[in-house]
Amino acid sequence: MMPLNYAILDYFTHTDRACADEIIAALAPRYGKMRGLRKAAVIDALMTAEKNGLIEEDGCDLDDGDDLRVYYKASEEGRATIRKYVG
Amino acid sequence: MEDRQQHALALKRALDARFLRKGIATAIISGVCYGLFTTFLNLGLGEGVWAQWAAGAVSVFVLTYVVSAMGSAMMYTASSLWSLALTIAQGKFTDLLRSINTKPGRMIILAALLGGPIAGTLYVIALQKAGSIVIPITALNPAIGAILARIFYKQALTPRMLLGIGVCFASSVMIGASSLGADAPEGMFAGVVLAFLAAIGWGLEGTIAGYSTAIIDYQIGITIRQFIAGVSNLIIVLPLLGVVAGEGWGYSWQLFGQALTDGASLPAFIASGFFALFAYSLWYKGNSMCGAALGMACNSAYSFWGPFFCWIVLGVICGKSGWTIPAIGWLSAVVMVLGIFIIAVDPRTLFKKGGRAQ
Repeated sequence: MMPLNYAILDYFTHTDRACADEIIAALAPRYGKMRGLRKAAVIDALMTAEKNGLIEEDGCDLDDGDDLRVYYKASEEGRATIRKYVG
Repeated sequence: MEDRQQHALALKRALDARFLRKGIATAIISGVCYGLFTTFLNLGLGEGVWAQWAAGAVSVFVLTYVVSAMGSAMMYTASSLWSLALTIAQGKFTDLLRSINTKPGRMIILAALLGGPIAGTLYVIALQKAGSIVIPITALNPAIGAILARIFYKQALTPRMLLGIGVCFASSVMIGASSLGADAPEGMFAGVVLAFLAAIGWGLEGTIAGYSTAIIDYQIGITIRQFIAGVSNLIIVLPLLGVVAGEGWGYSWQLFGQALTDGASLPAFIASGFFALFAYSLWYKGNSMCGAALGMACNSAYSFWGPFFCWIVLGVICGKSGWTIPAIGWLSAVVMVLGIFIIAVDPRTLFKKGGRAQ
């Protein structure tokens, strides 16, 4: 099993786009008890990855509870970089 | 529908602004912690057995090199224990074990060797030789990092950044000139040179580790870094220096044993290790949150916080003499910060709506 931060980034090599809630739901069966999988921590990890060019923002909207939902995606170059360091 | 999208965009802008503010605050606090860890390291180096060694209980060579490296090893060992405790408390211990033998983990280990035993020991020797005047010189490491990033990662090196590097060097010349004066303490110029070499080591570390911490959890990264820095100092640097001193492999560990059981100085090293943990971890985190350039600019204020806390804690609170910063030291620290800020931040981006520092 890879470290949680790696798994969050690796998720973008298998999907077109994802938001924090979707990633939490996907990783919860394996990492559910970890503090790093709380929503605020995942949002921090995604924004940090975006800041460093690994992923990029792909729009935002409001969910059913009127909370902000930001989507991210990885470009081909971003995916290659993630695979190089995480894989 | 349109209203909901507008509301979402407004919330996103607020989230971005909060994230940037948090990154800037993180980088500034890292600089404050850097000043505090340096202060308590200096405090420890002047207490108990360390004071006896400085008073002549060991040879000049042992005092200058072995004892200096041991100060660095004590600080990093304490810091690695603090890091490990925090990693366990945050429930990241299993992730730590999973991260060590990965590519980012190995890059952190390389960065730790460059920044820990090599630059750390040079820094402590420089501190012993020249005092806190060397702190602004080590603040050159962002400038050196910009040059190394150009060489290794083909990053931009613009005329503005070159101007900032020139300002930093002018600041170093100001400090160097003061150390060459007739009343300069013996060994001060050597201390200034060693501090410059330490800045190169940290510049290399920042370039390599900064890239790695975009992937590895910063708390896990810093635990690996402090542990490798502490252990490599203990099992490589200290025995080697003992042999060079003509005292044998085990000599440094005998001294280390005395230092570990010295009640007068140990609390200062424990405090130094505590602040070193946050000085480095928040440096990594701040850089990754608001961009390495802006993060380093905020962190570089440690060239002020170092002499400032030495003066407050050692000079004012502990009543020790020699910690007052000469006027040229204060002035060069200000010029150094100005130069680093010129390197790190494009002034045009500061005034653009929603703009980012580079």
